[in-house]
Amino acid sequence: MRIASLLFLLCFIGYSQLSFAQAEEVIEREIEIKAIAGLKFDLARFKVKPGEHIKLKLTNVDDMDHNLVITQPGARKEVVDASHKLGENGPKQNYVPPSDKVLWSIPIVTPGETAYIIFQAPSKENVYPYVCTLPGHGLVMYGAMYVTTKDLPPLENDPHVPPANAQGGDSKHNHVAADLHPYKTTPPYLYRIFMPDAGPAAIAVNLPNQLSYCWDAGSCRLRYAWQGEFLDPKKYFDKKAEKNATILGTVFYRDKTTYPLKFTLDKDPAVDFKGYKLIDRYPEFHYTIDGKDVYELIKPKEDGSGLIRSFKIPEATQQLFFVFENGDGVEYTTSKGKIVGHQIKLTPDDAHVFVIVMTKTGTQK
Amino acid sequence: MRKPAALIVLAAIVFSCVKKKSEYPDATVPYVVETINTPPNLSAETGGIAFMPDGRLVACFLRGEVMIYNPETKEWKLFAEGLHEPLGVLPISDAEILVMQKPELTRLRDTDGNGQADVYETVTDDFGMVGNYHEWTYGPVKDRDGNLFISFNTASEWGIMMDEVRGKLDTTLVPFKPKQKFSAVPYRGWIAKLTPSGEFIPYAYGFRSPSGLLITPDNELFVADNQGDWVGTSPLFKVEQDKFYGHPASMLWVPGWSKGDPSKLPVEDLNSDRQRAVVQFPYGIIAASPTQPIYDNTDGAFGPFSGQILIGEMNQERIVRVMLEEVVGVWQGACIPFIDKQGLRKGNNRLAFSPDGSLYVGQVQHGFVGDRGIQRIVFTGKDPVDIYSMNITNDGFDLHFTQPMDEAALRDTSNYHFRHYYYEYHLKYGSDQFEVRKVAVKDIEVRDGGKTVSLKLETLKPGYIYELTIGELKSESGDLLQNNLVCYTVNTLTSGQRSIPHLAY
Repeated sequence: MRIASLLFLLCFIGYSQLSFAQAEEVIEREIEIKAIAGLKFDLARFKVKPGEHIKLKLTNVDDMDHNLVITQPGARKEVVDASHKLGENGPKQNYVPPSDKVLWSIPIVTPGETAYIIFQAPSKENVYPYVCTLPGHGLVMYGAMYVTTKDLPPLENDPHVPPANAQGGDSKHNHVAADLHPYKTTPPYLYRIFMPDAGPAAIAVNLPNQLSYCWDAGSCRLRYAWQGEFLDPKKYFDKKAEKNATILGTVFYRDKTTYPLKFTLDKDPAVDFKGYKLIDRYPEFHYTIDGKDVYELIKPKEDGSGLIRSFKIPEATQQLFFVFENGDGVEYTTSKGKIVGHQIKLTPDDAHVFVIVMTKTGTQK
Repeated sequence: MRKPAALIVLAAIVFSCVKKKSEYPDATVPYVVETINTPPNLSAETGGIAFMPDGRLVACFLRGEVMIYNPETKEWKLFAEGLHEPLGVLPISDAEILVMQKPELTRLRDTDGNGQADVYETVTDDFGMVGNYHEWTYGPVKDRDGNLFISFNTASEWGIMMDEVRGKLDTTLVPFKPKQKFSAVPYRGWIAKLTPSGEFIPYAYGFRSPSGLLITPDNELFVADNQGDWVGTSPLFKVEQDKFYGHPASMLWVPGWSKGDPSKLPVEDLNSDRQRAVVQFPYGIIAASPTQPIYDNTDGAFGPFSGQILIGEMNQERIVRVMLEEVVGVWQGACIPFIDKQGLRKGNNRLAFSPDGSLYVGQVQHGFVGDRGIQRIVFTGKDPVDIYSMNITNDGFDLHFTQPMDEAALRDTSNYHFRHYYYEYHLKYGSDQFEVRKVAVKDIEVRDGGKTVSLKLETLKPGYIYELTIGELKSESGDLLQNNLVCYTVNTLTSGQRSIPHLAY
């Protein structure tokens, strides 16, 4: 039975011009999935609310073709079987079988390419499988779109994700790291490890809600944040610990300033890293800017759409600026002070305790 | 003249040693090697081990864990996690541990008493990194005045430099042609001293891979380095402030340095500025990659070698023992295998004496020859038959044994095979042995009821390593000599004659 929401289906392939702008306007949630090596999606599951307008993006970082087909609840195997029956007609149909069990699909994406669809999630709460239906892929390369307002079940008991993911523990949890340590890698947790696009004294932090960030203990600043799984540290741990850890998600924020916190706009402060304190396992970084102590605690937004940065500068005696730049991937709100252009201006009093929320650009407020 | 300190210590042990009850009363061997179980899912690549004031063992592992082992209950507990390749631990109290991780020296504190660190405080990160795998940091060790010493590896020419480095970048030695370890940021190739007030003092330089630091009860700093470019064979140095220990890369960070690429200076100049090793470990003969030196302060609980230095070896199933003496104001001495195989694994990276006098050994691999895990070496109470010390004399060496030896065998010249050789100080990786010659024993005198033998040699020259292989010597009670290969580094003769072959390492 066709579900009602299909009547409102806005399904556009990425490069379609038609009504594109209109479709983009209604997007309430963006999901990015990568097809990664080893016949896997980097996201084993994700959650959307019933009826939400979704933009689902598939980037292929593997070295072979993949597609992504969202099916009716429980219809993953049936759709995979149907795609096998396409036989020689498979390629020209993007391996998407003509079946009423197929809800939406992203056609074949070649290595290095990205495509997306925009659609409205079903109004009915349920688990909607997504799967790559290229020959042989469908048995192992799949995941689950949860349409729900509730919490997800523990990943280790989740029959809707591939077993390799389920073994890892919680969904907000890096399955890759699970058996690398004698402790549970349940977010929040962190690694000090070599990271891409950072100095050599990097700290990678995994947060709940599929968020992670890289903080640089050399330059004392948040460098970037990503959505998806956390890290694969194995390349680093292998042998002489030479290679960067691999990010298992999509970077949505990068600090593009020379330094974001400053007492005078024309000069970056001298910084010094003092360490961190674990508060409920979240690191609260301690550093100084121009000799003044700064404490910074970063938490995830509950809907996974960005970061909540709580700052304390107890001895601030001057006006403080938090500066940012266009195109850094996020929009800002602040608990104190004023946002003027690309600056948040804070009085010395404001600077004692303030919270800056960075929400991924395009997320509905 | 020469101080026979070792002999005094020996006498003290013989007369005053109170033996504790043996864990292996019926053992027929002096030492037993046990393996400590480590927790599931722990990659037990051991970066550091030490004992806490309460007698528990703290260990750090290269994937970032700091764990505490209770030898009574044999249980492990996680203390900290997420650290960057930690390679040294120093407990301050039962709730506070210093840990040397790649980017910084960090103080871990358990402030809420739940047995896990919640505060990770930077003690110092006043040194640079280019993001190269070889930029390991080691230590800390603490002297009796409360100063901490840490050391910074050079970077590898086979590794990378990140686009973004930490610290002031000097690319004089980059792209490191000819190939050699480099120091593009401060203070790679240095030892630093941190005073109790927190002052960071670049202390001594010229190191390549100074993996092991030791402060002796006499407050002396000893540091082992690793064979490679500019290091003919692995040395043990006695380190003093502002002195140069041979690897040129670090010279870039000498205050006021203006001579450009230090590795291009005339090798004679570098050589004459250089401090020599107190002991050289002949490569592949005694050790290929020595690690941490440790001072036996067990007062006999670990056997008869109290007051001597033991040092780990990566590439063989071996711990090496070092016998030092000060001769006319110059330190030198001998090295000999201590435990060789006997159930010991390779990769013997870190050593710590337990309060019960046993020696814990942490192993590492890390892409090199080695192994993983922690083992424990226990003295059973059965006295080893071994060379207690080797001391230079006016015309040869005295060997002192731990027990009276069969005198007839001691008097037999065919039981002593001496040869000498030297390694060279040069940029090229490692060194051949030069002037390898057999050295004849001219005369033998047995003393102290068979506990000492004086060997007079045909020639005795400074700048050479004297390698002695001993035949089948037995003790009076019929036990075989445990280790029969010993190498003495002659820096000076007792006459004070110190002229060594050109560029001898």
